[in-house]
Amino acid sequence: MAIEAPKPLLEVRNLDVTLKKRDTFFKVLDDLSFHVYPGEILGLVGESGAGKSMTGSAILGLIEKPLFISKGEIIFNGQRIENNAISVRGSLISMVFQDPLISLNPLRRIGDQLVETIRTHISLDKKQAITSAKNLLEEVGIDKNRFHDYPHTFSGGMRQRVVIALALAPRPSLIIADEPTTALDVSVQAQILALLKRLCKERGTSIILITHDMGVIAETADRVAVLYSGSLAEIGATFEVLSNPMHPYTQGLIAATPRIDPETLNKKLYQIPGKMPNLSEIPDGCPFHKRCLQTTPQCYQVKPPLLYERASCWLLENKTGAI
Amino acid sequence: MLVVRKQNWCNMSFLTASRLSRNFDLSEPWILRKIKGQPKKLLKAVDNASFLVERGQTYALVGESGSGKSTIAMMVAGLLKPSSGTVTINGDNFFEPSQNKIKRIAMRKSVQMIFQSPYASLNPRWRVGDILKEPIVTFNLIEDENDQNRHACELLEQVGLFSKDMSKFPHEFSGGQRQRICIARALACKPEIIICDEPTSALDVSVQAQVLNLLKDLQREFSLTYLFISHDLAVVSTMANKIGVLKQGILVEEATPYKLFSYPEHDYTKMLLSAAPDISKPY
Amino acid sequence: MIRQFFESDLYHNFKNTPVAFFSFIVFLIITLMAIFANIITPHTPFEPSTLNLMNGFTPPLQTNEFTGDVFLMGTDDQGRDLFSTILYGLRISLFVGLMAVLLSMTLGVALGLIAGFVGGWIDTIIMRFADIQITFPSILVAMLIYGVAKGLMPADMRYEMSITVLIISIGLSEWVPFARTVRGSTLVEREKEYITSARMLGLTNLKIMLRHVLPNILSSVLVIATITFALAIITEATLSFLGVGVPTTKPSLGTLIRIGQDFLFSGEWWILLFPAFTLLMLALSINLFGDWLRDMLNPKLK
Repeated sequence: MAIEAPKPLLEVRNLDVTLKKRDTFFKVLDDLSFHVYPGEILGLVGESGAGKSMTGSAILGLIEKPLFISKGEIIFNGQRIENNAISVRGSLISMVFQDPLISLNPLRRIGDQLVETIRTHISLDKKQAITSAKNLLEEVGIDKNRFHDYPHTFSGGMRQRVVIALALAPRPSLIIADEPTTALDVSVQAQILALLKRLCKERGTSIILITHDMGVIAETADRVAVLYSGSLAEIGATFEVLSNPMHPYTQGLIAATPRIDPETLNKKLYQIPGKMPNLSEIPDGCPFHKRCLQTTPQCYQVKPPLLYERASCWLLENKTGAI
Repeated sequence: MLVVRKQNWCNMSFLTASRLSRNFDLSEPWILRKIKGQPKKLLKAVDNASFLVERGQTYALVGESGSGKSTIAMMVAGLLKPSSGTVTINGDNFFEPSQNKIKRIAMRKSVQMIFQSPYASLNPRWRVGDILKEPIVTFNLIEDENDQNRHACELLEQVGLFSKDMSKFPHEFSGGQRQRICIARALACKPEIIICDEPTSALDVSVQAQVLNLLKDLQREFSLTYLFISHDLAVVSTMANKIGVLKQGILVEEATPYKLFSYPEHDYTKMLLSAAPDISKPY
Repeated sequence: MIRQFFESDLYHNFKNTPVAFFSFIVFLIITLMAIFANIITPHTPFEPSTLNLMNGFTPPLQTNEFTGDVFLMGTDDQGRDLFSTILYGLRISLFVGLMAVLLSMTLGVALGLIAGFVGGWIDTIIMRFADIQITFPSILVAMLIYGVAKGLMPADMRYEMSITVLIISIGLSEWVPFARTVRGSTLVEREKEYITSARMLGLTNLKIMLRHVLPNILSSVLVIATITFALAIITEATLSFLGVGVPTTKPSLGTLIRIGQDFLFSGEWWILLFPAFTLLMLALSINLFGDWLRDMLNPKLK
């Protein structure tokens, strides 16, 4: 209790993102709050429509009409960042997307793209930038001699490594990786995740890893935040959350994930009843209460806030003693 | 003696793939090739794969991209002709030259397929009811239109949807619901084999669980035989009676799930097992 | 279904986009006036008996010194009321345009579907044909077909079949954009799993093309159809202007423009201006509407 908590690198405070569709407003993100500390990998996990990509876009200031930030703030390194913050985007916070073909210009050699990115954010002359770029390629596991190659000559996994090199070029403090390995083969995925872990340790770069795959979280993330219907359901150290999930949604999600275990073969998977509501159907109270098997009367009326800095669930209130 | 034994062996298995191979011609145009003096460049997508599936069982084909699993699926479905080798279903072969038309139609009826993408699997301009009735109409299974509608409604209910969904369009449903409609469509003509080509790879975890459980229930109820294609060993472990591991067109190992996970033999299998992100692995 | 349309996003956007809304209104007004030409106009300009040569060259809204008649848009050299003539001419322009577009659409969609779906050497032949044809300006192609057809026909049929030949020649010159677009869309749809499902049922290629692929490519066809419609109208006007189109006793807008051109510098400006302006309004409204439609139906912008 006497240890002082480290200062967070990124603070998301009470973030609301709203969608305006034909004169009606829909809440895409609802009162989202979490921190990212320096040198850690935070996993942002949720199913499609939960709002994880939206969170990444909001942090980078990429929210455009008809979406807008209606409440809350994002604080990076102690300073509040506005939407469209060019100064922060790309230099202090960079992004890795699912499809490497989005980030790479097919008509330019990868070396040129790297050099351009480096020189945009760091003042180096051309020669220094080229050296720096080649070092980056080496660091992500690509042969330096491939500096002059075009993106289409690389395989999917290698392209993603190039994209990671591009993301590292401006020496950011935070990288947001949105489903970086979803489109890759299993063996390549393992290599990319290992690379991200290594980079985080060696450079102290924090990573927000957005994914729908609990297995990826289990292997890679230090802490995990579980999103449901635009709200934070649970957050905590990965080991804690996976071995002792507090929120019924997290419990359901873990139980529903198939695993390679000779003991659980051919058994039926647990299935969470119903499906995640779409934007126009989010109920009052807790967004999960219609699918939850452990509801209390309060769940129908009032949306639970984050309790004990762990889970947004009224069940926690009834627990006595420390968690 | 040998002939008799071979016959017995064939009859025991419902679905047999025997030394299946498929090549794709990637060579340059004939003229350029002749001028440069190069031989034909063939890609061996599937190389001498053989496996047996018993009736009512699930056989899983596992591999990464380029392993040839989708090509095998196409050949079993009768949509792609093998370069060599055969696929027989209950002794019948799609590509047998002496096959008569009636037999071929019966074979089409007995093999159906569900696909990975719930978005491209259903014609966006057709109503769900018409999509479900198409197999019934094509194979002339039910004459009366009211009976056809009733059968389609029953199919919807069997997969956990509602008869009021008959008049809706695919885009009105979520990914998981669309996949259920695909399953209902596959069941419409009462097939014996369903080829599942990565049916849950595009679905969320909780939806995946629902769809996999549904497939299991339907298998039990209708004595279906599944050829389950996937890249995900964890998913396959909940469904398969036997797993075949494919690497670049070659079937490198085949075993029951218990044996494959506990005592993998081939290096590639071991690599896949260690690389798979597993929630039960400690971090 | 009608209610579904009026509640749809498409209609909502349509109401709120001034360009689309007004261009549609303009087109509607012009078309309705053309359809009800015989009710609106004071007299039929094609009946020689109703014409009075003395009425010739009357400026708009001015009393003719000889007969005392007033004409909204003036008269041409033969004493025809320009307003009536324009409306009747619009009928021909719209009819020829519509029929030509339907012909080129049917031909282009059919060829595009076959080329895209079946592929192989059929695809190559059709597309090379298309490539060859598209290198020539469509007006030239239309004139060529027109001339050949006219030459082949016996002399007494020439006059009556004029419009039919015109429709066929314009129609045959405009099929390529349809075919190319449809082929592209077909190539995309062909790879989708619902087509594989249809193949698994053992359906023939023809059935799959008509039942499954066609409904999904219609939106792109619609856009090309609107643009081709405007193009067909202008092509017809151009051919008539060159004297190759409709006979001069049944003038279309193009013929009127040609007549008007002769008299422009002698002071009778209205004979050129009003038909030209009408043609402009017609083509412009169709094109603007087509542009809006294209943006709305483009899946990439969604």
